[in-house]
Amino acid sequence: MGGHWVPNESPSIVQLFHAIIDAPLYHLVVEGLLLIWVFWLIFRKSYNPKDKAPLTEKEEDDLIEEWQPEPLVPRNSPSFDPDHPALNPRIIQSKIGKYMVVKGRKCLNVSTHDYLCLNEEPSVEDASVKSLEQFGVGSCGPRAFYGTAGHVHVFFEERLAKFLSCQEACLYSYGFSTIASAIPSYSKRDDVIFADAGVNFAIQKGLVASRSEIRYFRHNDMDHLLELLLEQQRLDEKNPKEAKVTRRFLVVEGIYMNTGDLCRLPRIVELRRQFKVRLLVDESISFGTLGKTGRGIFEHYGIPNSEADLITGTLEYALSSVGGFCVGTSFIVDNQRISGHGKSSSGYCFSAALPPLLAAGALAALEYIESSRGIAAIERLRRNCLLAQVEWGDVPGMELVGDAVSPVKHLQFKDRSENLKDDSRALQKMVERAEEMGVALTSACYVEDEDVCMPPPSIRLVVSSALDDGDIRRVADVLRRSAPRPGR
Amino acid sequence: MLAGGHGEENPNASWLNGRGMWLSYVIGVLFLHLVLLAVPFFSVPVAWTLTNVIHNGAMFIFLHTLKGCPWVGLDQGKTRAMTHWEQIDYGKEFTASKKFLTVIPILLFILASFYTKYDAIHFVLNFLSLVSVLVPKLPEDYKINLFAKSEKVY
Repeated sequence: MGGHWVPNESPSIVQLFHAIIDAPLYHLVVEGLLLIWVFWLIFRKSYNPKDKAPLTEKEEDDLIEEWQPEPLVPRNSPSFDPDHPALNPRIIQSKIGKYMVVKGRKCLNVSTHDYLCLNEEPSVEDASVKSLEQFGVGSCGPRAFYGTAGHVHVFFEERLAKFLSCQEACLYSYGFSTIASAIPSYSKRDDVIFADAGVNFAIQKGLVASRSEIRYFRHNDMDHLLELLLEQQRLDEKNPKEAKVTRRFLVVEGIYMNTGDLCRLPRIVELRRQFKVRLLVDESISFGTLGKTGRGIFEHYGIPNSEADLITGTLEYALSSVGGFCVGTSFIVDNQRISGHGKSSSGYCFSAALPPLLAAGALAALEYIESSRGIAAIERLRRNCLLAQVEWGDVPGMELVGDAVSPVKHLQFKDRSENLKDDSRALQKMVERAEEMGVALTSACYVEDEDVCMPPPSIRLVVSSALDDGDIRRVADVLRRSAPRPGR
Repeated sequence: MLAGGHGEENPNASWLNGRGMWLSYVIGVLFLHLVLLAVPFFSVPVAWTLTNVIHNGAMFIFLHTLKGCPWVGLDQGKTRAMTHWEQIDYGKEFTASKKFLTVIPILLFILASFYTKYDAIHFVLNFLSLVSVLVPKLPEDYKINLFAKSEKVY
């Protein structure tokens, strides 16, 4: 045995066949089993990946027969609510400015997100009309596909990037889709996103679309965030190979739409550096309202913009136009513009560009904010916010939630009833009473089945720079008078 | 490198189904064997055992240990944690390619056994290398990484 380990001693064919007869039993058993496996594999039915297995005619008929169309609004379902605001629209019959005409009544507006009241600014209107005359209404295509009108879009992007002292900006055609498609253009399957549980619906949709692993930390609870980050660090140490390709993101809002709170940016920036996460900040509300010159949450805390990897915002609030924007380094922003291979931002690449007249309007609004009048308006807004926090907080049975400097505040019940529906109905009644007294309020609406962290029913109050002290006191008075009696 | 397109998420799933793939594979193994036979001091049994062990070693590394794919696919990183075997035909079992890749090491083992005259030492070497490529192919092991001792749930 072992003789053939000696070089050049190869067995002849005859020797080989003789060897079969002398083969040990275990060997024959192993080979026998293997051969059975081979035959089983060969005679087993193959699965053909190209086979699509078309349905037979009968199967098709059965499927069609089975299908029962459902009504869009199932009237018999328990979730059907005839008082739902969507079924009872309040129609506005005028331009939305400081005042607006709701159902024929002139009301003071504390419900729309026009913090600097630029809807009534003549320079914005003139710029839009001029652009309309030059370019028409639509942009006729996505940005990379004939949609870039003249220099309007490019010029606005340059101005915005300069205003926020970032390398580059890109323009989206709809505020909601900005963050909702910016997040999935970076974060992918196998990446991890840490997000505040109080983020708005657009961000939640972006998180879902990214297919990443999402870890929500309790709203503005930095200790919980730290806990989650440490947990992730432990996981990464256990599996360094996977950690190498896993990217970690942190998503917060400058001012939270659902609560009116400011994010704890200084601590967040600290944690970002410590744990090397990529920070995405949505400045939808804080842009144009916070900081001395309206540059947002970063200016408010005196932190350079470069501490965030990506900042998104909307043109629909402070700039009173339509659309959204992303700013960051050229490297970050370019990633959204290139198309293909799941890297690009769907909201940017595959939507028609922002109509030029809206971009021109936003540009004029930005110029206004940069002017001395704009700075004065922002100062006035801040003063109004602080005053409103004091005046509007004094409503019996209700409390005002939100940061003092935030232009968005939520008025909600101190003691909530068990049934959220009762609370929202009471608030709806309050809105109607206030409307009769000449103040347009709105209750905050949410997609109840899908929101990860449903805020309690509330009336969302929006402060604008156009209000004067008398207006704020008048709103406070109307709030007190229209508030539901105890026991509702 | 970017790959894919035309509805193909991950080319790793399908390139083994290409025309002439099986013939190329057999020719490749044959070539390896002829190279080993041409080495003057390797006897026929040694050459066969080496062919088998090298083939199975390569198969083990490329099919059952290396994860992901060498290009940027369209699958949003779905295959990042999957071996090539798991990617073939998008994870479907008992496809023609998978059967072929299972049968080849078995046939090689039988051939090697024959040419080594059922010698015990050769048997141990050949059998161990065979086990290393057959066990990861068992359907039960799908998406369970035996060797990293971690289970990935999708």
